[in-house]
Amino acid sequence: MSNSPAAKSELNSKRIGSLVLDNSLYIIMILAIIYIAIINPNFLTPNSIINIIGQTAAYLPAALGIAGCIVLTGTDLSAGRIVGLTACIAASLLQTVSSANKMWTNIGVLPIPVVIIIAMLIGAAIGCFNGFFVAKFKLHPFIVTLATQLIIYTLLLLYVQMGNNNGMAISNLDASYTNFVKGSILNIGGTPIPNYVWFAIILTALMWFIWNKTTFGKNMFALGANEEAARVSGVNVFLTTIMVFALAGAMYGFTGFVEGARIGSNTANTGFNYEQDAIAACVIGGVSFVGGIGKIRGIVVGVFLLRLIFVGLTMISIDQNLQYLIKGGIILFACAVDMRKYLAKK
Amino acid sequence: MKLKKLSALLLAGAMCLSIAACSSSSGGGESEAPESAAPATTEGTETTASDLNVGVFYYTYSDVYITSVRTALDAALDGMGITYQDYDGNNTQSNQLDQVNTAISNGANLLVVNIVETSSPDAAQTVCDAASTAGIPVIFFNREVDDSVINSYDNAAFVGTDAAEAGHMQGEMIANYLTENYDTVDLNGDGTISYVMFKGQEGNAEAEYRTQYAVEDADALLEEAGHPALSFYDPANTSKYLVDQNGSWSAAAATNYMDTILSAYSEANGNMVELVIANNDEMAKGAISSLQAAGYNTGAEGSKTIPVFGVDATEDAQALINQGLMTGSIKQDAEGMANTIATLVGNINAGEELMANTDQFIVDEGVAKIRVPYAMYTGEESA
Repeated sequence: MSNSPAAKSELNSKRIGSLVLDNSLYIIMILAIIYIAIINPNFLTPNSIINIIGQTAAYLPAALGIAGCIVLTGTDLSAGRIVGLTACIAASLLQTVSSANKMWTNIGVLPIPVVIIIAMLIGAAIGCFNGFFVAKFKLHPFIVTLATQLIIYTLLLLYVQMGNNNGMAISNLDASYTNFVKGSILNIGGTPIPNYVWFAIILTALMWFIWNKTTFGKNMFALGANEEAARVSGVNVFLTTIMVFALAGAMYGFTGFVEGARIGSNTANTGFNYEQDAIAACVIGGVSFVGGIGKIRGIVVGVFLLRLIFVGLTMISIDQNLQYLIKGGIILFACAVDMRKYLAKK
Repeated sequence: MKLKKLSALLLAGAMCLSIAACSSSSGGGESEAPESAAPATTEGTETTASDLNVGVFYYTYSDVYITSVRTALDAALDGMGITYQDYDGNNTQSNQLDQVNTAISNGANLLVVNIVETSSPDAAQTVCDAASTAGIPVIFFNREVDDSVINSYDNAAFVGTDAAEAGHMQGEMIANYLTENYDTVDLNGDGTISYVMFKGQEGNAEAEYRTQYAVEDADALLEEAGHPALSFYDPANTSKYLVDQNGSWSAAAATNYMDTILSAYSEANGNMVELVIANNDEMAKGAISSLQAAGYNTGAEGSKTIPVFGVDATEDAQALINQGLMTGSIKQDAEGMANTIATLVGNINAGEELMANTDQFIVDEGVAKIRVPYAMYTGEESA
């Protein structure tokens, strides 16, 4: 293309065009914010901004986890059910002692760090299980997690019927748990920032470090970009795959722990469809299904944009029927732009 | 490498084991069904009709209220020594139709069906036709089916609630509460109560009725008492409700909406939402979780309580109401539902007409539909 005798000015306008396209997501985001804020000035109050950040923080860890699977040209359909299972387990271990419908009557209230570790370990164990089948039998993660998502749903349905619970929603959570998650150690201008925002920031930093500064992270990208090349250059494909899925599982486990308290009522339905939003956020943020491409920054932007749509559309009272269309349109547009970049590189 | 293989295999094995362990300890309906056939002889009088093979089809296992019906019905059928098998339709009508046909071909001779699709009578009619072709009775329950379906087959019946009744009752309950506490609820003192309505699902008859009648009836009663009608917190929203976009009546949807509302509406701005109405208890609890994060409904000294109304009166919602953190709910009687179904199953078991022995129930005029009444729940003393 570049060796054609085209005029320089044409090249320049092309370059500006592609610059606009490459950053179109940010441009759309800014335009959307301006538009919503004009219609409903409440949108940009500190309260509202912290609400959007809070919702972003709640959904971010799951997206950070699933992004690793996408970098490996895979996906993870079991994310939502793992969130549901770990949310129910975390909540059941942290119900108040006085609760009439306490699921496990003999355990009292476990210490919170123990429950976080349990939730993350259960998530990681299921992730290992996923990763094992992917790595060992060369099955596509879509198939593996399609299957495990069903298996986990059974575990979840059985779990909510165990103990005294009898299929009821698991609620009446201990104050130590709800305060730890929903409480606030810092106010900005009188607006409390829920603690799970800090958790999300810590996890984001941690994931950034893992992705960019560790051998494991580099192996993950090498494997996602070209498995054969990675294998030849000495990457342990089997172990790396399992670890990516295990790490994702641990992230879902943490999401489950947070959602358990944030929502406050946990059933077999908890976590339903969470993977859809997480996958959508990743592709919006430029984590490509082509493999080996993705940035933590992009994931944060993707999750933020989805919550921006949700909050914004609610605030400007748009017809509920149209919300799916807008969300779908943005996902499709973002992926098309992303793919265009990739095709241009080729 | 060998060691890794071994450890991976162990891991897989452990997963499978844990699955097996879970299913054996839970003692769900399915696992007990085959066993219940054997000890039927010990039950005495019912033994003669132990050739009854009941297929019970639930629209989804994940529904909290339906799970309590399932537990109660399993217990009732076990008690009668009747063989049965439970099916999970997983909220998919095609799935359920396949299950029904499979059950019939597998020798089921009585169908108990909690239909998935309620917005058109076709699905229920298909099940009804399948039953009539096989010459076996069918009992629909919980989710409303059309009169024409029940009347199309003389061995069909419906056990459910009057879908509109929950909405009417919720409206009445809200109006009663408001007329008694009008000035406390009206936080900004402008004379009108601003409310938010959380709808469980689009296109579901119960959700539509509850959404419509709770507000309409409350408005009518408030006007009688000399108060203005309720006003939706956001005048620009013409639908006057916020719906769970996954259609799963979930607490999470209500929490996300309520967080968003509370970020823009507050007492300081003089536009605080003063009343929360939800289609079910899950959504009510989700809203309460969000309110609590904003310092309301905590039960702590000096904390204001925004009245929150739900439907179902599940055990944990009852607990919240008794703690004063939630205001009221409409009780769907799971055991009453299960026992009514069990009565009809017993009729077939004893070789009687499907609708025999139903004098003590509320039966619709001209169609075999039994209504299990709802009840208001506002705390221990009223229960």
